[in-house]
Amino acid sequence: MSSIALRRRAQLGLLLGPVSLFLAVFFLGPLAIMIVTSFLAPGLYGGVEWTWYPHNYGRILGFADPMFEDFDPVYIAIFLRSLKIAALTVIATLIVCYPAAFCISRLSERWKNFCLFLITLPFFTSLIVRLFIWVLILRQTGLVNSVLLNTGVIARPLELIYTDGAIILGMVYIFIPFMFMPVYASVEKLDWTLVRASLDLGAGPIRTFLRIILPLTAPGIAGGAVIVFIPALGNFVVPAILGGAKVMMLGNLIEQQFLAARNWPFGSALAMMVMAVMLVLLFVYVIVSGRRGIDAATGR
Amino acid sequence: MKILASLARGSLIGYTALFFAFIYIPLVLIAVYSFNSNPINMMTWTGFTTDWYAQVLGFKTAISESALYIESTDQLVQAVWNSLMIATSTTTIATVLGTAIAIALYRFDFFGRRFYRVVMFMPMLMPDIVLGIALLIFFVNAGVNLGLTTIIIGQCTFLISYVFIVVSARLAGMDRTLEHASADLGANEWTTFRRVVFPQLLPGIVGGALLAFIISMDDLVITYFIAGVDVTTLPMFIFAMLRRGIKPEINAIAVMMLTFSFVIASLGLYLRSRQK
Repeated sequence: MSSIALRRRAQLGLLLGPVSLFLAVFFLGPLAIMIVTSFLAPGLYGGVEWTWYPHNYGRILGFADPMFEDFDPVYIAIFLRSLKIAALTVIATLIVCYPAAFCISRLSERWKNFCLFLITLPFFTSLIVRLFIWVLILRQTGLVNSVLLNTGVIARPLELIYTDGAIILGMVYIFIPFMFMPVYASVEKLDWTLVRASLDLGAGPIRTFLRIILPLTAPGIAGGAVIVFIPALGNFVVPAILGGAKVMMLGNLIEQQFLAARNWPFGSALAMMVMAVMLVLLFVYVIVSGRRGIDAATGR
Repeated sequence: MKILASLARGSLIGYTALFFAFIYIPLVLIAVYSFNSNPINMMTWTGFTTDWYAQVLGFKTAISESALYIESTDQLVQAVWNSLMIATSTTTIATVLGTAIAIALYRFDFFGRRFYRVVMFMPMLMPDIVLGIALLIFFVNAGVNLGLTTIIIGQCTFLISYVFIVVSARLAGMDRTLEHASADLGANEWTTFRRVVFPQLLPGIVGGALLAFIISMDDLVITYFIAGVDVTTLPMFIFAMLRRGIKPEINAIAVMMLTFSFVIASLGLYLRSRQK
């Protein structure tokens, strides 16, 4: 090996070494320990017992530890409900972002960049503050209710906050940039000559949309759907603030297991359910969009 | 047909205006109502006051004792101080490591590059609650006391990815002919890096660092799990306040935080988007 090649090797090692070590120890390591913990028995006083114990998953999926409890479908119900809320969030975010992406993609370069800046900016402002504002707007004495009461539209305050709808609204509000960016990327690349050709050849606007525009922008929609669905599923801040005590989601349940119930193995098993959904989604995404999709998503 | 097209165009523009209104009107609302003097119902305007700001900053105000909710401004100051200290440390570490891996992945060809790229995106894709509890289990098992150190380490795991992405984008858009010219003119590798590559890369690095700083300041979920009992950061402080009940002081704190984030993030985004 020539000395130049050796030097490049050394440089590469210097650049990669520290990051690899850091992520191996503090990222992959914790994940591995969490996976192990999810198969261990919970100790009596909040600790962990080092015995094989698949019933953490059993409590969720239907084979609970026969010694201690009967199977309670409440956990699977919370899981399904979280899936439903996450799915509705994806759909709502898409409806909010998709038409706007078309409009912005047709603007001049200057305005385009400004709009993209305006959309990205809130992502970097405090999440908790942005959710807090919706509490002020939606709660019983909040803005919407006081306006409607004062104008006589309603006689009694509406129950807006602490509902599934409030959670979905909060999630849409914080996840807009996540959906907008990938959708916008594919809308901007859309070849409008194909759309014109379709219209010239006699296809109506609806048919053109369904057969040309939608398939061509599908990769962006799929990408946005995945990166909104994953954090929505495990979210615990939004339900904690806008869902009150009434609406339980996977995120709150996990938090409870760690900070209140102190059943870490069960909490880990719940987190693994979130991970499982994430891996399935990513797997499907990779299969559908292929290697090129990964390269497009990870830049280059 | 023409009328129909312009109608469609008009409604699309209207929709987009609504889209931006949806994003920004809540932010404007909180800024306005943070000056509302009504101590009980914050969304019913009773008059203009700057007392909530004064209160938060620890000045004497005309607000009666019974309407005060922050137990002590000291707690808030401590939380802000903790957040700043954490953000400074994490930004330094994440910027160095994130830049290093970006350079490695863009300037070197080696086995496993694709694997590294996927790994670099994992901490961002991972739901933060999963990362938070995984780190909690890890630190407790390793016998590390939860506190500032664990928060700093924990936040770095995902901040490295953010810096990596911003710096990579910069590297991908860089003109390599200058480097070749520098090499042709006899500059050695180190000189070329120092005098040609680094200055071009710098806006990306600073942009990435600013964004990492602001994300660190705002992180709630991961910090929440690995903070232990003694350390409170600003987002945790507000989260705790919210859970106890909503008080007008939160408005003032919120607006100050929004302003701070807007300034830093604008600068970071500007540096990120600047080409050459």
